[in-house]
Amino acid sequence: MHGVSRAATGWIGPRRALRLREPAVGYLFVAPALVLLLAVLVYPALTTLRLSVTLPGGQLGVQHYGQLLSDPLFWQVVRQTAAFVVASVSAHLLLGLGAALAVAGTVPARGLFRVVALLPWVVPDVVAGIVWKWILNPLYGVLNDLLMAGRLVDQPLEWLTHPSLAPLSLILANVWRGFPFVMVILLAGLQSIPQDLYEAASLDGAGSWARFRFVTLPGLRKVLVVALALDTIWEVRRFGLVQAMTGGGPGTLTEVLSTQVFKQYFQFYRFEYASAMAVAMTVLLLAVSLPYVRMIMQEE
Amino acid sequence: MRRSGGRLAAVAVVAALVWTLAPAIRAGEVVTLRFSNWHLVETVWGRSLREAIRIFESRNPGIRIVPEPISYAEKEARYQAECAARRMPDVVKLHNFSLTMFFELGCAADLTPFVQKEGPGFLKSWYEFPIKSLTYKGRLMAMPGDYMSMVLIYNRELFRAAGLDPNRPPRTWEEFREYAKRLTRDTDGDGRVDQWGFSIPASKNPGLPLRILPMVWSFGADFLTPDGRRSAMNTPEFREAFRFIVELATVDRVMPPGVTTFGPQDVRIQMAHRRIAMKIGSGWTYPIVNAINPQLNAAEVLEAAPVPAGRRRITAAWLSGWIMSPHTAHPEAAWRFIKFLTSKETEKKFFEDNRVISSRKDVNVLPLVKMDKFSRVIVQELQHARLEPQLKEWPEIFDAFATALQEAITGAKPWERALLDAHTRVEGILARR
Repeated sequence: MHGVSRAATGWIGPRRALRLREPAVGYLFVAPALVLLLAVLVYPALTTLRLSVTLPGGQLGVQHYGQLLSDPLFWQVVRQTAAFVVASVSAHLLLGLGAALAVAGTVPARGLFRVVALLPWVVPDVVAGIVWKWILNPLYGVLNDLLMAGRLVDQPLEWLTHPSLAPLSLILANVWRGFPFVMVILLAGLQSIPQDLYEAASLDGAGSWARFRFVTLPGLRKVLVVALALDTIWEVRRFGLVQAMTGGGPGTLTEVLSTQVFKQYFQFYRFEYASAMAVAMTVLLLAVSLPYVRMIMQEE
Repeated sequence: MRRSGGRLAAVAVVAALVWTLAPAIRAGEVVTLRFSNWHLVETVWGRSLREAIRIFESRNPGIRIVPEPISYAEKEARYQAECAARRMPDVVKLHNFSLTMFFELGCAADLTPFVQKEGPGFLKSWYEFPIKSLTYKGRLMAMPGDYMSMVLIYNRELFRAAGLDPNRPPRTWEEFREYAKRLTRDTDGDGRVDQWGFSIPASKNPGLPLRILPMVWSFGADFLTPDGRRSAMNTPEFREAFRFIVELATVDRVMPPGVTTFGPQDVRIQMAHRRIAMKIGSGWTYPIVNAINPQLNAAEVLEAAPVPAGRRRITAAWLSGWIMSPHTAHPEAAWRFIKFLTSKETEKKFFEDNRVISSRKDVNVLPLVKMDKFSRVIVQELQHARLEPQLKEWPEIFDAFATALQEAITGAKPWERALLDAHTRVEGILARR
């Protein structure tokens, strides 16, 4: 080897070799996560997509999507899901912001308040649904007992069966369950706003409303978008609470997309149609999450 | 060369040993069977099944049964997913309405070869109807389990307290309505009704058809035309039956508030705590109600009677079937377990523990079955009983009905409009076939 240059032998030196190997090592590290994602996300998604275009006899076609578009129940469910999500997310944001401002301030027993405020988020979806179903039960429910004891109503209210009350009851339970998530995100956002800004605003004579409007809200803008996007995605997918509380009833008045997909697939055995509905739901979710994805990409 | 020759000889000796000893090792192996059944979550049935498993395991030391409890409403969804993944439990129990779907999906093993091996007279102990119902394309795909008719269960004490003769249950629907009105009362004098004449699990649950079908059929109505191609939910008979059921809740108010959220267990709890006087049930009702509230003294207080008759005397039949997973690794052991579960001895035990009637003739002629006040009526009414339609589309068709029922009871739609919408939806469902 004597007399032959290192470059000619292909020897590139230890530092450069390490640099070249870095991407490969990186891919190696992400490989397990990638394989897991492919197995539990991409494969089922592709299977669902294939099912949604599978016609009787095994041919491919988009008839199930055609059926979906002309199915009045599907559009009714889309409208109901939209109403459920808009009402729930709006209430989550308002309550979450209020709670975050409260626990970020100098309230007594702040730590305890934070834990208590987080409790509904810890309760599993289905358990929360069953608990609320009992609270609202017209025969044994504690809410009717309280209302009647306080002489606010004469007869027990049918919270989960009255056509107007049932959707409201569902939203009420969902708001209780979901606001702590928004609170936690906004609390993190609040804590990242520099204290100097508040002090400067105070020196300029800004009152508490002005400080909230011109310091807090602009400081929370990005976090609010994240909370809004993530909460919307979760609420569109909400299943356990609705299924446990009303099962979509009375009639179909509280059906949402996720309960319909479940029913079509597992109760009516319409695998292909349910898959088309699930794909439509995914498209809807992608559209909803676009602003969030764009914001993340802009930051990067 | 000498060294490699020695290695080869050693490998050959080990292979020979493994080959010789393998059957012996296998003989000592314990086969594990996964067994899923919704009754495992129930107090009375669960205990009975676990006892049966212990008896089976003691007699079959080479087979271990792993019970997998599941809820009644969840079973079809989970078994389907498990079947698709070839991971369905080795032995499961299903209600007749979903059995056809499982046969069509290839999620049940053909039991015909096992039955044939048992000898020509093996199936003679069973009623012909359940065997026929569980035969799909000429092959026996499930072994019949319990086979019962739906009957009227009522509380004698509440009848007496309302001035009704407890030995004379209602025989027609008009009589039933009058009884239900008398039984709907304010018992503690606080000005509010706290006892109702009748209750039904009107949430969307798989137990609802069994309670609704006897009412609809007895009015002379049916869900489909005789050829099964069109909806018959717009006939005068169907409209009459539907209106009758709805008005029990909306006009007569003989059903408790919130009826459209009740599942079967809610109604049993109401009966156990004397909140309702009448319900439609079957053999399982008395032990479950008794377990909820032993102070009721259900064996004495409750009574069974035929479902009131309308234009015809008819009721719904309950039939369950034991199926073997088509992917089981131990078909012989699974068959042995199914054979044990459906044996005369075990079916007799199930009757003693749970008061469920067997699809075996030789069990139902036993004095303890014939002398039991509930079973007597349930067996007698089997001659008037029909199964739920065994159609792939049946769950969706019934969902259309249940939707209409809920809409009409809660006032979301007038009953005529709700029923017409259901009829239109069923026509659409049938048009897809």
